[in-house]
Amino acid sequence: MLLTAIVGTNADFSYNRLLLQYMQKHFKGLAAIRILEISQLPAFSEDTPADMAVWRFKKAIQLSDGVIFSTPEYDHSIPAALKSAIEWLSYRSDVLKHKPAMVVGTSYGPQASSRAQEHLRQILASPDCDAYTLSGNEILIGNAAKVFVDGNVTDRQVQTELEAYFGNFVKFVDSIAEGEDGMSMHQPYLDDAYITFPTGRLSFREVQQIFSTIPFEIDLIDHNDKFSWFSNKPDREHVRSVREIGETVAECHPPKALPIVMKIIDSFKDGSQDSVSRPLIMHGHRVLIQYFALRDVDGAYLGTIEFTGSVEHILNFYEQGAWSDAASGASQTDSTSGASAHDAPAAEAPADATPKAATDTDSDATSGASQH
Amino acid sequence: MKFIAIVGTNAKHSYNRMLLHEMQARFDQAQIEVVDIQNIPMFNENHPETDPEPVGQLADAITAADGVIIGCPEYNHSVPSPLKSVIEWLSYRVHPLAEKPVMIVGASIYPQGSSRAQLHLRQILDSPGVNAQVFPGNEFLLGQANQAFDQAGRLQDQGTIDFLTQCFTGFLDFVLMHQQFSKGDA
Repeated sequence: MLLTAIVGTNADFSYNRLLLQYMQKHFKGLAAIRILEISQLPAFSEDTPADMAVWRFKKAIQLSDGVIFSTPEYDHSIPAALKSAIEWLSYRSDVLKHKPAMVVGTSYGPQASSRAQEHLRQILASPDCDAYTLSGNEILIGNAAKVFVDGNVTDRQVQTELEAYFGNFVKFVDSIAEGEDGMSMHQPYLDDAYITFPTGRLSFREVQQIFSTIPFEIDLIDHNDKFSWFSNKPDREHVRSVREIGETVAECHPPKALPIVMKIIDSFKDGSQDSVSRPLIMHGHRVLIQYFALRDVDGAYLGTIEFTGSVEHILNFYEQGAWSDAASGASQTDSTSGASAHDAPAAEAPADATPKAATDTDSDATSGASQH
Repeated sequence: MKFIAIVGTNAKHSYNRMLLHEMQARFDQAQIEVVDIQNIPMFNENHPETDPEPVGQLADAITAADGVIIGCPEYNHSVPSPLKSVIEWLSYRVHPLAEKPVMIVGASIYPQGSSRAQLHLRQILDSPGVNAQVFPGNEFLLGQANQAFDQAGRLQDQGTIDFLTQCFTGFLDFVLMHQQFSKGDA
C-alpha cells in the first residue's frame, strides 16, 4: 500500500511534519508513506496555470492509495498554505475524488488543531474534493513538544491510539480498493470472443498478449484528447497507472512537455503531419519515441498513438556491423521502396500495401529528422 | 465614516469585487475603499523575516478605518486560501483587526451564495489571534451572482438592494455602538 502524507504547513519547523515522519517510520511494515511538502507550491489562483511543482504534487496524490493530512491550526482553521494546496488538487482536477483520506494533527498547546481538523473534514467533503475521509479516528495530539522527542513518541497512550486508528485507516483503504475491484468483477465482459480482421482472426486473449509481448510499449490518446489506453508491457519506460485513464492530455503531461505534445497532436488533426520521432535517453539507455496519427480507413483522425521502446539492442547490432554487407547496395532498394530491413517479406509486399509507418521510420533513421 | 472593503480572492474576475464596488457606489453614509489582495504573498511564519510591504499598507489602512467589509467567495465549502493568507498575516506580527468591526458579505454563482465560507470566516475572525468584532446575523448571501448585476455592474433586484441596505445600515449602527462602547470603556 502506497500512501502520501501532506505536511499541512509551509513553516520551517512543524510538529505535524515530525508526526508524519514518526508515522512513516513506525508503520513501514503496514504501508509505504511518502511525505509531501507544500512549501514549494505557488499560491493558488484560478488565473495562474499549474506549474511543474503542482503537477508533481497532483501526480503523487493520484498514484497513491490514500492520503494523510497532518494539519496545524491557524486562527481556528487550516493554514492558508494547506488550503491553497487543496485548491490546486480540486480546481479542474479530481485527484482527491473517492480517495481515502485520513486527518491527523498535533499542536504545541492542548487543543491539538481540533477546530482546524473539523474544517478540513468539511473541506474534503465538498463536491470538488469529494474525498472519502475516514470518520471518527481523531488523532489529536496536544503538547507536541513533550510528546515528540528525538523522532519518537514518548506518550504511550498517544502511540496506542495512533496504532489503532492508523490500522483502521489501512483497513479502510483496503476496503475501498476491494469495493472498486469487486464492482468491476460484476461488469459484463467477453471472454472467448474473436475479432475478425481482413487479414485473419484473433481472440481477445491473443490481442491482449500480443500487446504485452511486442518489444515496445503503446499509449493511446483518443480523438477527444483523452488518455484512453496503454499496453500492458512489463518494464515500461513510461510507467502508467489505470488511475490515469480518462485524463486529458493536459492532465497527464507535465506542463513543460505539454506544448510539444499539443503541437504534435494538432499537426496530426489538421493533417500536416502523420508521424513524429523523438530519440532520447531514458533510464540510462537509448529510447525512441514515435508518435503516429491513428486514422480511420477514410483518413478521419481517431487519435494519437505513441510507441516507446529501447533501441539499445538494435543499435548494438548496428555497432557490431550486423548490416555492413547489406549497406553496400542490397538494401538500397528497400530504403527507396519504403520497406524495412527484412529483405524477403518486404520484396514480396505490394508497394501500396506497405504501411506508411515504415517509410517514416526509414527516413527518420537516415535523416534524423521527424518532419513529414 | 471610513471602511476598508477587502476582495476575498486573487481571481481577475470576481462577483465579490463587483458586490463591494456596488456597496461603494450605493452607500454615501460612508467612504468605502475597495482593496485587492493579489499583491499579498502566501503567509509563511518564517519567510520573509519581516512582514511584506503590502501587508503593512493594508494593516495601516485597516487601523485608520472605522470598520472592515469582507467580500468572501467560497472555495471547497470554505474561505479561499488568498483571503485566509491575508488574515494570517494580520494576526501574526500586526493585529489591526483586533476589536475592529467587520461585516461579512459574499457572492457566488450557486444558490448558497458562499454560506459555508461565511460561517468559517466568522469562526476564523472570532479566534483569539484575530479577535475582530464581527457584525452578527445579517447574512448577506448573494446567490446566482452571474445574473445579479446589470451591464454597468449594478445590482438589479430591488429586494436584494433593500436587504443589502438593511444589512449595511445595521452595520453602521453596530460600528457606532462599538465606538461609543470603546469610548465609555476608556
